[in-house]
Amino acid sequence: MRDIFYEIYCSLSQNKLRTALTGFAVSWGIFLLICLLGAGNGLMNSFMGNMSDYVSRSMHVESWQTSKPYAGYKEGRRIYLDEGDVDITAGPLFSDHVDVVAKQTEGTSVKLTYGRESVDGYLTGVTDTYRELEKVQMSAGRFISPLDMAQKRKVIIIGSGQAAELSRGNPESMLGKWIGAGNISLQVIGIYHTDESRMQRGVNIPYTTYKAIFNSDDKVDAISFSFHGLETLEDNKAFEDEYKAVLKARHDIAPDDEMGLWIWNRFTGNLEMSKAENIIRIALWILGLLTLVSGIVGVSNIMLIAVRERTHEFGIRKALGARPRDIMKLIIAESVTITAIFGYIGMFLGIVACEVMDKTIGARAVNIGFDEIRMLVNPSVGIDTAFLATLLLIVAGTVAGAIPARKATHVKPIEALRAE
Amino acid sequence: MALIELRDINKTYDNGQPLHVLKGIDLDIGRGEFVSIMGASGSGKSTLLNILGILDNYDTGTYHLDGKLIKNLSEVQAASYRNRMIGFIFQSFNLIGYKNAVENVELPLYYQGVGRRERHEKAMAFLEKLGIADWASHFPNEMSGGQKQRVAIARALITSPQIILADEPTGALDSVTSVEVMHLLKELNAQEGITIVVVTHESGVANETDKIIHIRDGVIGRIEENRQHNAWGGPIIK
Repeated sequence: MRDIFYEIYCSLSQNKLRTALTGFAVSWGIFLLICLLGAGNGLMNSFMGNMSDYVSRSMHVESWQTSKPYAGYKEGRRIYLDEGDVDITAGPLFSDHVDVVAKQTEGTSVKLTYGRESVDGYLTGVTDTYRELEKVQMSAGRFISPLDMAQKRKVIIIGSGQAAELSRGNPESMLGKWIGAGNISLQVIGIYHTDESRMQRGVNIPYTTYKAIFNSDDKVDAISFSFHGLETLEDNKAFEDEYKAVLKARHDIAPDDEMGLWIWNRFTGNLEMSKAENIIRIALWILGLLTLVSGIVGVSNIMLIAVRERTHEFGIRKALGARPRDIMKLIIAESVTITAIFGYIGMFLGIVACEVMDKTIGARAVNIGFDEIRMLVNPSVGIDTAFLATLLLIVAGTVAGAIPARKATHVKPIEALRAE
Repeated sequence: MALIELRDINKTYDNGQPLHVLKGIDLDIGRGEFVSIMGASGSGKSTLLNILGILDNYDTGTYHLDGKLIKNLSEVQAASYRNRMIGFIFQSFNLIGYKNAVENVELPLYYQGVGRRERHEKAMAFLEKLGIADWASHFPNEMSGGQKQRVAIARALITSPQIILADEPTGALDSVTSVEVMHLLKELNAQEGITIVVVTHESGVANETDKIIHIRDGVIGRIEENRQHNAWGGPIIK
């Protein structure tokens, strides 16, 4: 073993430039692979982080302007959902599938103030069921209760980020405090957890409180509900059509009007998303492996040249009693050593690059209107992937060395000795 | 039985046009002999030496080395025979450039699987014997031609082979060093009884050996007994 390594050391240090160039090809290949996979994972984490906030089996219903004239009405009529729609959704008609129903008011931008601190907020009135549907994670306090709803209490749920800013770093101390929201005063009863992928600005007050303060009609801006028993895209489509038909009839919307009423089905959306995710993942692996292939070809190429240059030396070795196996071992060991060492360097640099991405691109949030999203969350590759890549590289190194090695071992010693 | 026994060896190279290099060589070389094979370039003497050294194969005939038939050997067998039975000395030394003297000498033992320490001690002993122990850690490009050939001789001797094959051992050396190297080979033959076959085209070198085999156009011509070393009327090295 020691002898082999000494041989490799001599041979590699003999050809420093060649070693460096080969090494670079390998390092570069694995570096790009790790970077691609890391960035891909970051992108996925960002997607998934944004998706996992919601109950995956839920639908969100909103209304908009009609695009077709119907029942004596012109097109372009603004449709408003109302309490009747909520009752129908929760009623016996759809009880086979619908579980929890929540309603939501439109949002209002407000400035939240506490003492001398202030922070932006986007205020919506929600029902107590909203928490279950939207998977709101409370980090302190409680969510809006049925009693809050019934008594139209002036209470508010804020995000942990906002709480931290208002309290200058001690979010939990905000519980029970009265803060200003626009020109009204509300008591903080709960703080929800804002995850790292989003700078969420939403704040919630009881639905009834919102209606009492802002507009006391029975218009509902959005209805969402969870459901069960709809497993396939077809099932979902059928249910959506049935549901839409009922509501469209209530509001005199043309049955084939796609604009007046629309449904966002998170479950089918997720199905699409995970399909897209898999495609992206596979594409990244393919790209990464292709870059790696160029590294491997580089090693193979260099080993071919090296073998050619060393033919005379192999001739001497054969004359002195080296078996084909010994020559083979020498070349492959050299190839594997180069790929392993430089592959490891590339892997290390790749991981460093992922960290840098995390600190730069990953730390930057992109504003998408109602929310802020980080493009990359924790871009990194698992240690298993990194080892897999390195293992792959060592196998590749063996293959890269094996082809020239076979060539070298099949040269007759006398011909090898003649080569100069 | 002779150490080397060649019967009707034929060898044809086919590089586009067939070239019949060896045309039925019959030759016996006994144990402990100090023989030279002489001939002009193209006479087939190097081909003969390569066949003796199992570096090349032959087409027809038989070659027995120490009673073993050397024919259609696998590469592994050939390597093993070369390693254990034959020591090579080349005109251009054929030392490995990135290994120092002692590492070069160790190499045949490495292929026998001898341990590092033992290998090193043995190699040092042989360098000592050839008077170049001080140069053990020097690389070939730091040594003179004579020193390099001594290293090569040490390397040839280290496995205690049955036979030493020397291909123009003095071809790259000046006359003084040539004499030294030939005397060294002579001494090894006389004191250790090692069989030595030297291929040369220099009559002075051939004259140092005990038997001169003349080869011409692929056939063996005259075989001269040369115990008195006066084949050309006395020592006439260059």
